[in-house]
Amino acid sequence: MNLPDLMARRVVVCCGAGGVGKTTMSAAIGCAAAHQGRRVAVVTIDPARRLAAALGISDLGDTPRQVDLGEIPHGGALWALQLDAKATFDRLIHRHAPDHAAAERILANRIYQHLSRAVAGSQEYMAVERLNELTEDPRFDLIILDTPPAQNALDFLDAPQRMADFIEGKALRMLLSPSAAHGHRGWRMLHAGSSTVFSILERVTGAQLLRDLGDFLQAFDGMYTGFATRAAAVRTLLHSHESAFVIVACPDDAPVREAVALIERLRTDRFPVAGAIMNRVHVTSSAQLDLGALRTAVMPICLGAPDDLIARINDQWIEDQARADSDHEAYVRLAHALGGHEILSVHELDDAPVDVHGLIGLANVLGAATDPPDGTHR
Amino acid sequence: MTISPAGYDLGDRRLIFVLGKGGVGKSVVSSTLGMMWAARGQRVIIAEVANQHRLSEVFATHDAPPNVATELAPHLWGISIDVDRSTQEYLASQIKIRPLVDLLVRSRAFHTFAAAAPGLAELVTLGKIWELAVSLEGGHPVWDKVIVDCPATGHGIALLRTAGNVTQLAAHGPVRDQAHRIEEVVMHPSATGIVVVARPEELPVSEAIDAITELRRDNFPIAATVMNAHIEMRFSHEEAHALADIVAADRVTDAALHGARAAHRRQVRADGHLAHFTQATHLTPLILPDIGPGPITPARLAALAARCAAQVIR
Repeated sequence: MNLPDLMARRVVVCCGAGGVGKTTMSAAIGCAAAHQGRRVAVVTIDPARRLAAALGISDLGDTPRQVDLGEIPHGGALWALQLDAKATFDRLIHRHAPDHAAAERILANRIYQHLSRAVAGSQEYMAVERLNELTEDPRFDLIILDTPPAQNALDFLDAPQRMADFIEGKALRMLLSPSAAHGHRGWRMLHAGSSTVFSILERVTGAQLLRDLGDFLQAFDGMYTGFATRAAAVRTLLHSHESAFVIVACPDDAPVREAVALIERLRTDRFPVAGAIMNRVHVTSSAQLDLGALRTAVMPICLGAPDDLIARINDQWIEDQARADSDHEAYVRLAHALGGHEILSVHELDDAPVDVHGLIGLANVLGAATDPPDGTHR
Repeated sequence: MTISPAGYDLGDRRLIFVLGKGGVGKSVVSSTLGMMWAARGQRVIIAEVANQHRLSEVFATHDAPPNVATELAPHLWGISIDVDRSTQEYLASQIKIRPLVDLLVRSRAFHTFAAAAPGLAELVTLGKIWELAVSLEGGHPVWDKVIVDCPATGHGIALLRTAGNVTQLAAHGPVRDQAHRIEEVVMHPSATGIVVVARPEELPVSEAIDAITELRRDNFPIAATVMNAHIEMRFSHEEAHALADIVAADRVTDAALHGARAAHRRQVRADGHLAHFTQATHLTPLILPDIGPGPITPARLAALAARCAAQVIR
């Protein structure tokens, strides 16, 4: 993966399994790009305020906050924000509602209030909508999107269309009456409960829940086109070469498996995959330890018998080598899945960066990292 | 949560939710607890959600069909909860008239609706979990422990909240009644316990602390906390200090001495994260050691379960 190329795009999406360091990498790429003169907004979606911790901003919220990076050349700047799905959804309603009263009617609807606060589904949808908003904001020329910690890391790609479909209410219209699905005959029919399938469903949900749902969907009548257009626009942007997807993994079994699946899915759907970052890679020499030399070395600090200490140092050495070997195997598996694309390796750091200083250090590492010719051993 | 001098007591709680940030080892902790209780003769089932099949990989039961309890080891069972099947099972239990169920399930409109309805997947998943926890056979519970390997923190808490949300949304009807019964079980500290997992790193620890604050605020029953992949002391402070003064004659020995000091630094940092976690939550976590690289195997899980058993009374 080529960092300068990545920083020249308009949108960078970091995806991968939970816990691999996506948020940290997003922030580090943001730092690197800001140092190159880009005006960057980093969006994190996680309910836990992780980016805030990494950026040293305690009250990271929906509004972009500028991160103090000290002296930056070429007029670059870095902003960070935390996705607020509810606030984004509310803005989307105001944007598409025909008038203020219509917007307020939706915002007050109980189904809407639950829907807009639901983590699954609406969070992914609003991540993409927030991306849409930020690309329209003249302050930023690069948006970096950290993706939600869903079980399926690509849920967010499908979420806009799925949610738009739900809001269009075609499925419920079909339940209501197959003929109603084709024409806009309004939701008053719901109260009559005309189709068999619908009336069976009603036995389970109770009449009130379906009626509320009907009211909710009625309130959205006429807004669907706006939603669908926006969902399509962001999909086009994400498919274009103004965007880049970066897969983040760490060299453990499950994250690599997820990364491989992600790469396949992105390729199938023709999203631009820029490459991968393998985070927390352990490296060590593959040489065998000479226990005699070790004994000579530690002798001066041993008051008693050195055997126990020597054995423990040797155990550690063997363990570190096993870890490095295992990491190398994981690297090879990811490289195989990526085909021609490069992987940036980031070595296990003493501790994950938790402040701006650490992020800048990591950004430098990313800029300098290249593929090790023979894997992770040096 | 009680900790006596003899160790942790998770009580007779039948339903255990294992929660934590992605990558902290929720699956490992779920399996470890499962193996520990199974070794004590309890009938245990571990439930995986959202299309996860890690257990079948670890225990090499690859052909296990979704939504079917599969024996992994003596007394230990696994199930991967499938949303479509659970929806059908749920409808069958509610509607009770088979042809009507078939009509609904075969209808394309219903599938479109079910796929898009927000929260439906969580509700049927939680419903299936609840059913495992309350199912009886001959007057006795089918399972002594139902362990849920939750999705990452935010989605895991959303799963726990699902029943309460539905209770608020639906004023009456079978869905509401069932959601209410589920909510009662999930919120009851003698029936349910949440196990919050962290590992000794900055961000997983802060996410676990936040999760505990949120769970406490909303009266969710926390049963235990776990510090997974803790790094055990191999070198004392004195040794690490002394090793820093040595100059080795060759490069490999030097690298090994460097490795020992780095290991010590990791121990110290892990202890710092553990201390921070304990101080911020006023909870003493169960400690599970780092098992190093490589695939998780039943034998490694059994070793972890033995470590866990030494700290847990029941």
